[in-house]
Amino acid sequence: MTRADKILITLCLILSIVLLVPLFFMPAKGAYAVVKVRNEEKMRLDLAQDGEYEVQGTLGPVHIIVQDHKVKVSQENSPKHYCSKQGFVDSGVVPIVCLPNETVITIEDANGNPTEDTVIQ
Amino acid sequence: MRNQGRKITTLSLLVAVGILMQLIESFFPIFVMIPGYKIGLANIAGLFALYAYGNKEMVIVTTLRVFISALATGSLFSVSFILSCTGCFFSCIAMTLAKNSKRFSIYGVSTAGAVCHTFGQIVAITLIYAQFFMATLAPILSALSVVSGLCIAYLSAILLRRLRKQEWQKANEEIGLE
Repeated sequence: MTRADKILITLCLILSIVLLVPLFFMPAKGAYAVVKVRNEEKMRLDLAQDGEYEVQGTLGPVHIIVQDHKVKVSQENSPKHYCSKQGFVDSGVVPIVCLPNETVITIEDANGNPTEDTVIQ
Repeated sequence: MRNQGRKITTLSLLVAVGILMQLIESFFPIFVMIPGYKIGLANIAGLFALYAYGNKEMVIVTTLRVFISALATGSLFSVSFILSCTGCFFSCIAMTLAKNSKRFSIYGVSTAGAVCHTFGQIVAITLIYAQFFMATLAPILSALSVVSGLCIAYLSAILLRRLRKQEWQKANEEIGLE
């Protein structure tokens, strides 16, 4: 190995440490569950805070639980209870839809965009 | 004429070895935890061609290796093929420049190639997916590519010392190592 080699390797390692720095200043990504009834936004729930909420759907109250950065519909009034059977959801591409109550819950980031959904092979 | 035939045969054997290594490596992802990381054993063929023959031959071996192994795995013109192409494009440029500067030994040349390969791929992923999530992996990947670059250089140095003694000595004399 020559001196230039050692300098190059050190520079590359320093570069990778320098690239780490901006990651510490990146704003923490908050995810929100947006609850819409009849396409009208009723609630925007922070997934970082656990809690239980309720909105008025077409057929009655829809009970929503936020827990461990996930959201689910626990109780609602509908013929087949599809949305409460669905369980907890934490992905931006899987909405909870309760059609009889005309209620839709989607997960978005702080800017209102759907959360990332990319698979790389 | 005889030398020409010998050279073509050696280069095609190098391409074949490169393809084989790339295929074998794609079957066994060594570090599953870090997406996109591979040691890059196939680059031994390119590095060997660079030292045993020259810049042009390295470009030929690398290009053929990328194309034919993509054909063999059925990923021609897919995202992984584009990543492989951009990575190899950047690494070929970096290795050629590093070798021609006559300051670096094989370790420096290989490290420069590996780091540029990584950054080429990160740039390509950022452009293709239009998202910056891969930048969060850039520090780990670039640090690891230094390691893999040194490993590849070590393996190529062993090969060159045994198979291409004269060229190896000449290359080392140029930078004042032997």
